[in-house]
Amino acid sequence: MSLVALVLGVALAAGAVLLVALPFLREPEVADDRLDAPTAAEEERLGLIEERDRALGALKELEFDHRAGKITDDDYRRDIGPLRRAAAGALRRLDDTPDLHPQPVTETNRGETMSEIQPVPEPTPPPDEGTLPIPDPVTEPYPPPDEADLPTIPQE
Amino acid sequence: MADLGRAALVVSLGLSLYALAVGGYAAATNRRRLAFSARNALFCAFGSTLIAAAVLAVALVRHDFSFQYVAAHTNRTLPTQYALSAFWGGQEGSLLLWLLILTGYGALAVALNRTLLRDLVAWVVPVLGGIATFFAFVLVAVASPFDTQTAPVDGAGLTPSLQNPYMVAHPPMLYLGYVGLSIPFAFAAGALLSGRTDERWIVATRRWTLAAWMFLGFGQLLGSHWAYVEVGWGGYYAWDPVENAALMPWLAATAFLHSVMIQERKGMLKVWNMVLVALAFELSVFGTFLTRSGVVNSIHSFAKSPIGSWFLAFVVISSLFSVALILWRLPLLKARTKLESALSREAVFLYNNLLLVALSLTILWGVIFPIVTQLFKGESRTIGRPYYDFFLRSFGLPLLLLMGIGPLIAWRRTSVRALARVLALPAAAALASGVLLVVAGAGSSRPGLIAYTFSSFVLATIIVELVRGTRATGSLFALVSRNRRRYGGYVVHAAVVLLAIGIAGSSAYGSSTERRLTTGESMKVNGYTLTLRGIVHPPNQNATETRAVFDVHGRWNGTIMSGDNQYRNPPEPSREVGIKTDWLRAEDLYVIADDINTKTGVIYVKVLVKPLVNLIWIAGIVFLFGSLVALWPDAREQRRLVTRLAPARA
Repeated sequence: MSLVALVLGVALAAGAVLLVALPFLREPEVADDRLDAPTAAEEERLGLIEERDRALGALKELEFDHRAGKITDDDYRRDIGPLRRAAAGALRRLDDTPDLHPQPVTETNRGETMSEIQPVPEPTPPPDEGTLPIPDPVTEPYPPPDEADLPTIPQE
Repeated sequence: MADLGRAALVVSLGLSLYALAVGGYAAATNRRRLAFSARNALFCAFGSTLIAAAVLAVALVRHDFSFQYVAAHTNRTLPTQYALSAFWGGQEGSLLLWLLILTGYGALAVALNRTLLRDLVAWVVPVLGGIATFFAFVLVAVASPFDTQTAPVDGAGLTPSLQNPYMVAHPPMLYLGYVGLSIPFAFAAGALLSGRTDERWIVATRRWTLAAWMFLGFGQLLGSHWAYVEVGWGGYYAWDPVENAALMPWLAATAFLHSVMIQERKGMLKVWNMVLVALAFELSVFGTFLTRSGVVNSIHSFAKSPIGSWFLAFVVISSLFSVALILWRLPLLKARTKLESALSREAVFLYNNLLLVALSLTILWGVIFPIVTQLFKGESRTIGRPYYDFFLRSFGLPLLLLMGIGPLIAWRRTSVRALARVLALPAAAALASGVLLVVAGAGSSRPGLIAYTFSSFVLATIIVELVRGTRATGSLFALVSRNRRRYGGYVVHAAVVLLAIGIAGSSAYGSSTERRLTTGESMKVNGYTLTLRGIVHPPNQNATETRAVFDVHGRWNGTIMSGDNQYRNPPEPSREVGIKTDWLRAEDLYVIADDINTKTGVIYVKVLVKPLVNLIWIAGIVFLFGSLVALWPDAREQRRLVTRLAPARA
């Protein structure tokens, strides 16, 4: 092995060791060395959020499919009630979980730790699950649901 | 400098092993600093592999023949771009490229998700470390690109057929695809290991899967075009085991991209999605095993080498690991809902999945059949083109039809009446085009006619969806930018339609004629008359060129040349076909001149007329565009992910 290669190889190894050891060099002593994993309550809440998003997404899809003529008015009337009840249920269960509400994150507050994010109120009230809606005649087939947007509650 | 490359690989191996062992221990014992340390080791593994790759690249460009690898795959006359492409032209170099992409992808995926999915990433690191350890070990101990020798005066050179611009891009594309499938696999395994089987791993890896799938698909089309213009047998896909090795994981990944949408919307098919991710990854490694072990005969495979057994062991171990993980976590993968109707979009996706996986496994059986017969009967028996063509038609045509039905059918359930209403227009368009095709004489091939009719149906559904949307939003750009994934998917569907039309046109309606010709004689082929004008030897520094010159009359008038090159270093022949493209018809006149006798002026010539074949290459560009639309970063989606994960991280 040439001397240059030896020196470069040793330097490479030393640099790698330094970087690998960096977390311990930065924080030699820590009070809490546990991984920042969600607690059981947070896991449950994550599940509820997924359930909510899914229910609201299903509502939006139903609206869109109805507008696009992919389902009949009868099918729409049959399906909208259970879906709204499911969405309302998911929202209520989420609402019943205190101090763990969804929090908006912007470009500025997206950081290494999410604990600094400020809570915000629920975006919209849940729908009235007691009143089954009768869909208005819709002439406009589009726009399709924007899956990238946050789901919204259908307005009564 | 070979020592530096070797040292860098040893450092990569050590770091990967550290990421595997220490990362696994840190995740299992919930130790933050140790997990970060393992994560850094993965980052550093990329850095050290990059140094190793740079050493080899410099050696290739400088023609440093003291490197055995450089001497075996290049020579002094090789242009720089092909000297660089020799990086992946040989066994050891391509393995180094694999490790480089793997550690690079891994470092990037971990870095991008280190904040939001910290608990999940802690388990992803050891999985990626495990895969990297295997490749680094093979490079250090079994197939090193840094073995040295006393430098010879010149190298052996690169195989002539690899001295083609397509070979500069095709293999890296395939590797980006193969290796890219490691990322969704690592996140899926991480989700199972951590017990966090919610949707986060899917959201985090959606674009990685799409990107890997895009590279794999586009890489295959580049390879097909290379075979078409360079190998010179008149086709673009031969169901060669190594070609199939790239197709199988692509089909599995296609199934996953569809079924994952059902999990996102309905919370269903969690086990199925895990199986698909693992299947796609295992098939990609299995494909590598096929290419490198020498167990199957293929023009694409590397020379037989001892690394085959290492790869086989890795495939077996990682498959067992995947199966054990899924079985262990089955209780967490239970579906929350069930399929509500056989007439729903999710049901159509499920049918599509079954067909895709069935096609993939059927191809797998065809690929391993020679190995199985060798093992159990003592003689290797291969499966030919009719087998693959039969299953391509049996599964491919229904898939094409489902591709049209899927976008039109509602989620959850739909009535027959509503379905009939939305299908009416596209079905009418398909029927009309079918009748027109029969009138035009396309009824000679039933599969071709069905493929064209189904293609018309799919195109009609896409156009209906796009026109409706554009009318409502006022602009196509606004429509697509609001839901890139959906409309990018439609563009990809259009690409598949073009591909189907191109394949059906060139295979079902093509013509082929073979003749022995002497100078001055003519032959007629499907609207063309070719007259052999003579035989010439164009000047070439690296090879002796022999060309038969034909005067062509008919739908196109001009001159076309075909023949072969006899290269000096390495001393290998290369067939050089003559292709004239009629872009208006997307048709090729394809001339293969063989056994050229310069003294007597006698040649054997095969002339193919391949209608619509160029739609296949156009499909590649459309596919690439649609994939890019679908995976283009969306800031709103990122915000949605952050918002969703915020409570879990608070």
